[in-house]
Amino acid sequence: MTTTIDGSASVTINSGAILGITSGTAVASTSGTSIDFTSIPSWVKRITVMLIGVSTSTNVPNVSLQIGSGSVEATGYVGSSARITNTPAAAWDSVLTTMFQIGGLNVNTDTLSGTAILSLAGSNIWTLTGNTFRSSGTTPAINFFSGTKTTSGALDRLRITTTNGTDTFDAGSINILYE
Amino acid sequence: MTHRIEVNVETGVTTQVEYTAEEQAAYDAAVAQQAAEQAAAEEAARLEAQPPAQG
Repeated sequence: MTTTIDGSASVTINSGAILGITSGTAVASTSGTSIDFTSIPSWVKRITVMLIGVSTSTNVPNVSLQIGSGSVEATGYVGSSARITNTPAAAWDSVLTTMFQIGGLNVNTDTLSGTAILSLAGSNIWTLTGNTFRSSGTTPAINFFSGTKTTSGALDRLRITTTNGTDTFDAGSINILYE
Repeated sequence: MTHRIEVNVETGVTTQVEYTAEEQAAYDAAVAQQAAEQAAAEEAARLEAQPPAQG
């Protein structure tokens, strides 16, 4: 049997969940100290965060991801990131409990592109995995990262920021998919 | 003023949210601290690079 649903952009079931993958709104990461995606529906079980050519203005911090319920949470993160590059061959970022690190920028002309995937493992328990590519004249790199974090309630927001919290974004765009 | 970008995924509306006075004060303090740490690191590197005194 084949069921065809025609004329609708999405299908919503009784729980309010939308079947299929929903795209957020792409936002230019060309200003501000963070990019927040809010009002993420409570039925969401997986979120894909996409960075395209993201850059920061001054320092050389790591770009980071935080999640939360009602507000962005800055505790309870378990995870880290590392990278493979040509100089040195590999590097390890320190373990932070305040955020997920999703890629380091070597100089302020670097850009970061790639994907971070958040998956709901249990009651408000989220896991993270992903890779980003750092474009850099002499030291391009592949960053990889993973971790877990339990939010205080149903996840409804995420934030892309920097580890120092003070740098501003100056290039690129960011979007999410959720399902 | 410093700001963040906020995207409401339900409505698709993107807004620029200015820091509150409290957030701005914390931000300014963090920037000052980072500048001080950077200056201290540069000074330590400069002293380390100096040749030892003769005599």
